[in-house]
Amino acid sequence: MKRANRILTILMFIFLYIPMVVLIVASFNTGKDITQFEGFTLRQYGELFRDQDLLGLLGNSILIALLSTAISVTFGTLAAVGIHRLKPKMRKLVMSMTNIPMTNPDIVTGVSLSLLFVFVGTGLLGNRESLNFWTLLIAHVTFGLPYVILNVMPKLQQMNPALTDAAMDLGCTPVKAFFKVILHEISPGIVAGGIMAFTMSLDDFVISYFVTGSDFVTLPVEIYTYTKKPIQPKVYAMFTLLFLLIAVLMVGMNLLQIRAGRKKDSKRPISKPWQIARRCIAVAVALALVVGGGFLFFGNRQEKIILNVKNWGMNMADGTDDTLDIIAAFEEKYPNIKVNMSYYESNEALYSQLKNGGITVDVIIPSDYMIHRMIEEGMLLKLNFDNIPNFQYVDEEPFKNNNSYDPTNEYSVPYTWGTVGILYNSKYVDEADVTGWELMWNEKYAGKILMIDNSRDAMGIAQYLLGYDVNTPDKAELQACADKLAEQRPLVQQYVMDQIYSTMENEEAWIAAYYAGDCMLMMENNPDLRFYLPEHQGFNRFTDAMCIPTCSQEKEAAELFINFMCDPEISGANMDYICYASPISEAKNHMEEYLAESDIIYPDSKILEKGTAYKYLGGDTARYVESLYQAATKTADNQEAGGSLVIPIAMLVVLVGAGGGLWILKRKKRKR
Amino acid sequence: MKKNKSVLLSVPYMLWMLAFTLIPLCVVGYYALTDPVTKNFSLGNLQDLSMYLPVLGQSVGYALISALICLLLGYPVAYYIAHRGPVAQKMLYMLVMLPMCMSFLLRTLAWVGLLQDTGIINNILDAVGIGRLQLIRTPGAVILGMVYNYLPYMILPLYTTLVKMDDRLIEAAEDLGCNSLQTFGRVILPLSVPGILSGITMVFVPAVSTFYISQKLGGTDTVLIGDQIEDWFKQGDNPNLGAALSLVLMLLVFVCTGIMNRFGGDEEGGVIV
Amino acid sequence: MSKELIRLRDLTMEFDGERILDGINLYINDHEFLTLLGPSGCGKTTTLRIIGGFLTPTSGTVTFDGECINDVPPYQRQINTVFQRYALFPHLNVFDNIAFGLRVAKLPKDEINQRVQEMLEIVSLKGYGHRQIQSLSGGQQQRVAIARALVNRPKVLLLDEPLGALDLRLRKDMQIELKRIQQAMGITFVYVTHDQEEALSMSDTVVVMDKGRIQQIGKPEDIYNEPKNAFVADFIGESNILDGVMLEDYKVRFFGRTFQCVDKGFEPNESVDVVIRPEDIDIVAPDQGHLVGTVTSVTFKGLNYDIIVEFKGFKWLIQTTDHCAEGSTIGIRLNPEDIHIMKKSEYSGMFGDYSSYSAEYDELTEDAGDEEE
Repeated sequence: MKRANRILTILMFIFLYIPMVVLIVASFNTGKDITQFEGFTLRQYGELFRDQDLLGLLGNSILIALLSTAISVTFGTLAAVGIHRLKPKMRKLVMSMTNIPMTNPDIVTGVSLSLLFVFVGTGLLGNRESLNFWTLLIAHVTFGLPYVILNVMPKLQQMNPALTDAAMDLGCTPVKAFFKVILHEISPGIVAGGIMAFTMSLDDFVISYFVTGSDFVTLPVEIYTYTKKPIQPKVYAMFTLLFLLIAVLMVGMNLLQIRAGRKKDSKRPISKPWQIARRCIAVAVALALVVGGGFLFFGNRQEKIILNVKNWGMNMADGTDDTLDIIAAFEEKYPNIKVNMSYYESNEALYSQLKNGGITVDVIIPSDYMIHRMIEEGMLLKLNFDNIPNFQYVDEEPFKNNNSYDPTNEYSVPYTWGTVGILYNSKYVDEADVTGWELMWNEKYAGKILMIDNSRDAMGIAQYLLGYDVNTPDKAELQACADKLAEQRPLVQQYVMDQIYSTMENEEAWIAAYYAGDCMLMMENNPDLRFYLPEHQGFNRFTDAMCIPTCSQEKEAAELFINFMCDPEISGANMDYICYASPISEAKNHMEEYLAESDIIYPDSKILEKGTAYKYLGGDTARYVESLYQAATKTADNQEAGGSLVIPIAMLVVLVGAGGGLWILKRKKRKR
Repeated sequence: MKKNKSVLLSVPYMLWMLAFTLIPLCVVGYYALTDPVTKNFSLGNLQDLSMYLPVLGQSVGYALISALICLLLGYPVAYYIAHRGPVAQKMLYMLVMLPMCMSFLLRTLAWVGLLQDTGIINNILDAVGIGRLQLIRTPGAVILGMVYNYLPYMILPLYTTLVKMDDRLIEAAEDLGCNSLQTFGRVILPLSVPGILSGITMVFVPAVSTFYISQKLGGTDTVLIGDQIEDWFKQGDNPNLGAALSLVLMLLVFVCTGIMNRFGGDEEGGVIV
Repeated sequence: MSKELIRLRDLTMEFDGERILDGINLYINDHEFLTLLGPSGCGKTTTLRIIGGFLTPTSGTVTFDGECINDVPPYQRQINTVFQRYALFPHLNVFDNIAFGLRVAKLPKDEINQRVQEMLEIVSLKGYGHRQIQSLSGGQQQRVAIARALVNRPKVLLLDEPLGALDLRLRKDMQIELKRIQQAMGITFVYVTHDQEEALSMSDTVVVMDKGRIQQIGKPEDIYNEPKNAFVADFIGESNILDGVMLEDYKVRFFGRTFQCVDKGFEPNESVDVVIRPEDIDIVAPDQGHLVGTVTSVTFKGLNYDIIVEFKGFKWLIQTTDHCAEGSTIGIRLNPEDIHIMKKSEYSGMFGDYSSYSAEYDELTEDAGDEEE
């Protein structure tokens, strides 16, 4: 029995630590993929320390964790003292309120807080930027407080109440008694609660993910949201360093505790130097907290204009792989502007974020049909083209004339254009099967197919396959497409957007539908990949254009930015990195030749004619498409039950039943 | 004693909790009962929920299975740790805590690297001639992810309960003629019920609401309720439906924890480390 | 005697509608050793806490040196307390505990040092200053608690069951020690205990309390010899309490016989309680006794035997140094000065019957006291 326990414990620890080992090994890997160890290197650590953005994000996380812990600890300790003195009935009530954030799922807490902030901030107070640093801080304090309270309360209850009396008897005012006596007694609880609040805050991403604005992002949220880039190995390096730091801290604390325990047993007093040292450490930590916090927070906020740009992931050259760092170039040209980049995964996600409100964004780059929708719904500002002289370089056809989304050219300036096609791995996929969109439905490759994860593109693919018009509002046709997607679901490995990079490159999946430019990039990394455009069935030709949403607070700077991006030289350099087609023909002269000549990026005009653009079909159809898509790909098969009242009634029954049950149980208890 | 004065200290806290826990839940309720387009009162979102019953059932099922596996794995481990010397106890306890402090996202990603078709485990299996197996994108992988991430939440409360248990009780049971199995069944297990319940709650709640594990480790048929909520908020532009789903999830969790607390007696706040 | 220092006037105290103190009137003189004695729940600790300032009475006043101090918080009173189970600060060592009050008062360092050393000497803990509290024995902790209170040179020291947690031997030593300290420092002690022996041996004045009311105030000898009612008689020492009728001054009738006594001032034929202390009863041969009874149980107590004797269905406790065999018939004699007469009170008939006597009686009453508040 005992031996079995020991073996199980050892196995459990192996289980717990294997993924950590994988990550730590990956940090020393010369290759990018964590599944293949190609050679030992320390390069990632060097890169980590050169990456200001990553370190800044880590700084943000630490800052918010420190601040929220400091607030929770002070506020929570005082509150605990107050609660302790409450009458038992009231105390029970308050404690059950304290338990709400503890038992409530994180996602519900996050959702509820985000809705509250937007509801109050934007809805009632009219503040556009209602999700910001402060809301994040409030959220972290809210889930940190219960940890402090639940750890301090037992200590207060264990404390001999006569100690307070004794202190007052010896001349202390109640406040003095708190600092001189009570604080010492409950300090283990405070420390434990503080540590828990700190670690929870540092690692929290679910709640932060929902309440974070664009001005202040923490590391876990960023790791989650910018999944378009396969995670850079320097993140593993950071993980390794954090792991070591925390491990050393924990071991150190444990050793101190053990030593302190021995001291107590040996009946020797704590030596003076040690006491002084302890006090010094406490003061130093507090100082570091205040100074570091202040520096991190206010140091970032110099007298610069902050320009919030929201972009697709990997959709702007950032200086890696010998490309131009466009943001750096822009900031060099306009030293009083600081660009703050954040990312979205799909048009629908962008729309949702803007519609839900609470954030400030100055430049967005949505696709055609979404631009149309946003114009119709009054979500975009008219541009002042006096500030955008470079607009002259943009091609007349089909951008300035005959575009389907912004016919008057008042709201948008094209950024890129491209097509949606199929990327497949020639090592595994038989060329004979590459006949059209039906490849995505080929059962031979079940489990190896990646389907694009947004309603419009996915429905579009089904529409091309079935030969329908992609801009139809016809419900029967749409339903047929949804059924087609549902049919495809068992074959699909995953519905993804940005994850496609790592999955296709390491051959975890073999077939995917995606944007041509990204496919081009992946093909550079894995020579077995091929791009295929089913011209006989039709395909989507999209234009992404830069717009300024109504929530923008720096319109002029945004126009400067848009203008900068239209500089043919800049546009060309940008395309070198993102591999999309530029709407500025002159940019071709500044692009690498193989890209400018690539027929994936710039297909033949005859082929291009077969492509169609998505148009905005009205809010009702958009919502209908969205719900069809969700039902077909995400929820289980049972789609008919739409109109029933089963759930509301079931909820009511459960509520009444639970309430009644509790009441009866309570009464029984009392009777006993 | 001037009781009333120090009681006032709890008032700001109560206001804070009211403003940032209770009222937000009301806001969720408000959104759940509002039409996404017209912003009028509507039961439509709640009606749509019936589509999500299977997803909800699946979430609950996975979470329960994970909680039970965690219990089966965690109990012997907690028992083992609780019966070490004080120094070893502290160190082992720390080792259990440590993974909880590290990024949950990255650790889950590491499992993807381990489990995927071209992943580390399959590479090894392939090299020794067994051949590649379908590990990732199965319900098993999702449950593994849950067990992995939430196992410490099971071990810690179990450990706190077991370590507080008086050894003399075990001696007494043996004295009264129990063999070790009977001692376990009649004394140790019943006494550790509060820890078990608290552990199950602490595993079940995050597991039933997770939205990352299933995205990374699951396939197209392992969608969980958390994924749906995230989708409707972040992609689908229907926060009202998302709010309705959150409401259901919240009710589910409160009913579950309520039942647990009933069984476990009126312990204030359960076992906290 | 010396002048009055503290006066409690019509004190009442209620918690959640429950009356804990009911009209307490009491004055405490300077340099006095006054003991509040009573069973648990009698209100003695509550009274002490009101004097200390930890509780505000529901009604009534506390005056100190002629001034009402109802609203003066504890930290501004010239009163210090030795708490039940000491309430020493666990995070401070012996020296720092004792110096606590002086440091709060911001006294110069030298003076603190000197006064603490002095105090350590007085409580016989010289050289223990650097020791941690947890490493001290109960008796030593007790002394630290006393030193911590006394070092502030209070006018009054309140002691709340200070010896309750000590074993018997240590308790006896500390009783002497406390009395010595009180006399040496010359300050007022207000002492709370449920132990009647402690109260009698140390106090100048004993206040017997029960049910939130003062039952009797007096010198230890008076309380013992002239209990005012059955409760006091029973609580202070052992008593046989009988129903009697006062025929006239110095003549009382009970058990069908008339006895000479030393009490007077009752109405003719008034019903009274008659108290006979077990140690006052002389055992004689059956034919010489005023009363004749049968021995039903004998317990050896070390100093004496406790024997239970049945007289006409009523059981008496008699303490004697002579051995009597169980079942034997004995006679007793009562001298007039052994018979104490009390007026009837609410306690009549509740005490003094040894019909259900058992040897554990002593232990039972002692355990009960610990649980107060």
